[in-house]
This record gives sequence, C-alpha cells and structure tokens, in this order.
Amino acid sequence: MPVDRIRRFSVIDRVFHLSLMLTFITQAATGFSRLYYSTVWGKSLTQVLGGYENCLTTHKAVGVVMIIGLVIHTLLLFKRVDWKNPINSILGPDSLVPNFQDLMNMKQRILWFFGLGPAPRFDRWTYFEKFDYWAVYWGLPLLAVTGLMSMYPLVTSQFLPGWSINIAVLLHRAEALLAVTYIFVVHFFVGHLRPMSFPMNEAMFSGSVPIDEIMEEKPAWIERIRQEGRQTGLRAEQPVSWYRVTYYVFGYAVLTSGIYLLVNGIIYSRSINLH
Amino acid sequence: MKTTGPHHRYFAWMAWAVLALGFAGVAQALAQEEVASSLRRYKNREVSSGFYEQYEVRPTRLSPVSVPGVGQGIFPYSPAAAQVRIRRRLADSHRGIKFYASLRCVRCHKAEVNDIHSTRANLTCRQCHGGEPISSIDHFYSPMNPIRRHAYVCAKCHEGASASFASYIIHEPPAGSMIAKSQFPLLFFTYWFMFILLVGTLAFFIPHSLATGARELFIKMKARKHHAGRSD
Repeated sequence: MPVDRIRRFSVIDRVFHLSLMLTFITQAATGFSRLYYSTVWGKSLTQVLGGYENCLTTHKAVGVVMIIGLVIHTLLLFKRVDWKNPINSILGPDSLVPNFQDLMNMKQRILWFFGLGPAPRFDRWTYFEKFDYWAVYWGLPLLAVTGLMSMYPLVTSQFLPGWSINIAVLLHRAEALLAVTYIFVVHFFVGHLRPMSFPMNEAMFSGSVPIDEIMEEKPAWIERIRQEGRQTGLRAEQPVSWYRVTYYVFGYAVLTSGIYLLVNGIIYSRSINLH
Repeated sequence: MKTTGPHHRYFAWMAWAVLALGFAGVAQALAQEEVASSLRRYKNREVSSGFYEQYEVRPTRLSPVSVPGVGQGIFPYSPAAAQVRIRRRLADSHRGIKFYASLRCVRCHKAEVNDIHSTRANLTCRQCHGGEPISSIDHFYSPMNPIRRHAYVCAKCHEGASASFASYIIHEPPAGSMIAKSQFPLLFFTYWFMFILLVGTLAFFIPHSLATGARELFIKMKARKHHAGRSD
C-alpha cells in the first residue's frame, strides 16, 4: 500500500541542491588536494585529480560555475516573492527568512533537549534548516570574492594593496574549512545519521516526504496545509525504485568522499599551514 | 735674484699636488651631487614610485652614518656593531658572517622557507633574492628594494606586476601569532575572527545535532516498546 506523501521541494530546488553537492565536493577535493599538497596524502590526492596545476584549473572553473549558480538562484529567489504581498511572502511561514518564531523555537527545542518542556511545533522550515540555507549565502559570496581576488591578483592589486591578497587567501581557506567541516559533520549527521533520517533523508532527492513522518517533525506545517485546504494539491507519488537506488548510491558516494576528505584532513592538519 | 732654489721647488711640488687633489675632489663632489641633493633625488625617483625616504639610504662606500632610533654621538657605534644594526641596508647583507660560503640559507632563515613560493612553486631563495652578494632589501641598489621589486623580481613570473602587487607579503608571519599581531595586524585579526566563527558554529551545532539524535533515539525506542506492548 503506497504511503501518502506530500511535496516538500520543487524540481528546481532539487536541481540546485544536486548542483551544489557536485560542485561543493569537487571544490573540496581539488581545494584539499592543493591545501595538503605538502603532505603525502595531498600529493596522492592531487595525482588522482589530474595533478597540481589541473586541480587549480578545475577549482577555478567550478568556482565560476558556483558563482553563476548563486546569481541564478538569487534571481529566481526574487521571482519567487509574491510582490503583491511582499511582507507576508518574505516573512511568512513558507519563507526561509528567519523570524522571531525561530528564536522561540530554538529556545523551546533546547529546553526539550533537557526534558524541560514540550518539543516545539515546527512549521515548514526549522531554524536549523534555515541556518543551513543561509550559511551558503554567507559562505559562497565570501569564497567567491576571495577566490576571484586570488584568481586575478594583478587586477586585484590595481584596486587594493597587494597585501590584501594575503588576507583573501587566509579568508578563502578558513571559510572553506568552516564550510567543509560544517557540511561533513553537522549536515551529514542531520541528513543521514540521526534516527529520524537514518539511513538517508530522501526529501531532497524524491522531493516529497511521507505525511506521517512529517506530521511528527513539522506538525504546524501539516496543520496549516490542512486548514488552507491545499492537501490534495501537494500530494506526491512514491519515487520509482530505480530512481531511489540511483540517489541512494549517489548520496552515499558523496557522503563517503566527504568523510574521506574530512578524516584525512584532520589526520594531516598538523602538517600544513592555513596561510 | 736667484729664482730657483730648494724651497721654491718644494712649493712647486705642493702646488701640483694641491691641483691634483683638487681635481680629484671636484670629480668626487660632482659624482655625489646627484644623490646629495634631496630635491634632485626626489625629482628623479620619488615622484615615480611614491616610496623613497622610508626605505632608502644614500649609496656610499661606507655604512650610512645615521640610523633612525639609534643614538647619535661622536662614535655612536663601532663598525662591527654598525654592521649588525643596519644589516637591512647593506650592499652585501651577509657581510662579516663567518664561514658564510659554506652555510645554507635555511640554517638561519628557518621560517622563511615555509612560504607558498618555496613549498608550492619549488622556488629557491636565489630565484628571487639573486646571487652573491645578496644585497639587503632596503639597500639603494637592491633589486628587492620596494621601489623596483615589482619590476625586477615579481615580474619575472607575474608579468605586469605593479608596486601594489609587490606589497603582497611573501614571508608572512604565522597568522595567529603575536608576531603577526605586531607586523600584520589585519592578518592576525582575520585569523582569530575566522577561528572564533568556526569554533562557535561547531560548538553550537555539534552538541545540537547530538542532542537531537539522542532525543529522537528515545522517541523511537519508546514507540517500538509501545508497538511491542500493543502486539502482545
């Protein structure tokens, strides 16, 4: 008997997530191979990825793709706002913009961790999902600007003093390490390892979630949908099995690559300089 | 009257000697005038580069006679001490170092081989600092002098390098160290800002994720127990 499912992510959302996965893991691998080049592991990783120079070529090209992706995503974001009723659309419960309720939910959830209160009733997006989304918006522009500065040092030094490239390189590496650690530890844990998602949270690939599962996690969202009578419009089908197999294999391949980079990165971290 | 005599001959020799010395002296004075005149020096050099007084010393055969911050006096320092104090401005920066010819750069410049040019691009010291004698960075004629470094050194690989480009710090201090705080404060504060951001983000989200995992495990276990109890 098919489980009743509800749509959570549009095709465009999923395509963006997939592109971000591919570009992020490429950047992490090529970036780490160069950052760790002075170690044995870094040298072998560099060889697998086509050599020291080719790693940089790939890193630059994929970086430009990411910048273009961010710009397109931002444009689509503006298109998604209902300009007849912008305040409700930007600050409403279907929006990813943080609001006061998120702060209350966070407080409530921390109390719930210690058994000091009931679990907060989340709407469509929890505060930590919103953080995941906006973390890309602080990380990617910073990586883009510092990356372009390092990519075109002669042009940069026409507008800024040459020593600003020292700062740019440090910022690029520190922010990259922050992003990589956050994604490979926190995001992977939330998406794969926590009991509610184990072995994999499929929502970002299938686009839909079983209604009884989401009822436990985000009761306020389902109640709102029912009140507004949008239930039938959001009903989704169970993903076909070949597609499920594909995204399981793909998801676990990226997960393994990420953990591999993280573990080796930690092992060899004492042998490198951040600057 | 006798016009020639032993005394007269001495005067003649002295006159020739004075004339010869005079010519030599004038020649020296002419040679030094270009750099002795600060106005001319300014017109020739400083206008084009923007860097002059803070880096430059006059080229002389001897060591320069004044160093900012060092006390003045009749004999403020011995020649040996002067060499040490002003090593940054010598024509041969390693002048007076014993057994210099048999030493490797890294023996003294340990931290300097950790830069990106050495570790990544496999550059050797001499590819930028030149052959012997390696002049001090701030010496008037050094290719490494900031007034011409971009053209003489950086542009060998980075075609089109400007003076601004050459202000990139090759041998930067360890970013989080107190040396960086005094020498390159922005690098120091950038490092600690990013460090606190990284530690702060993880310090919140790792316990947050683990607590979520633990709570969800309890919920699942309770649900399973409840389910088992119902089926019995």
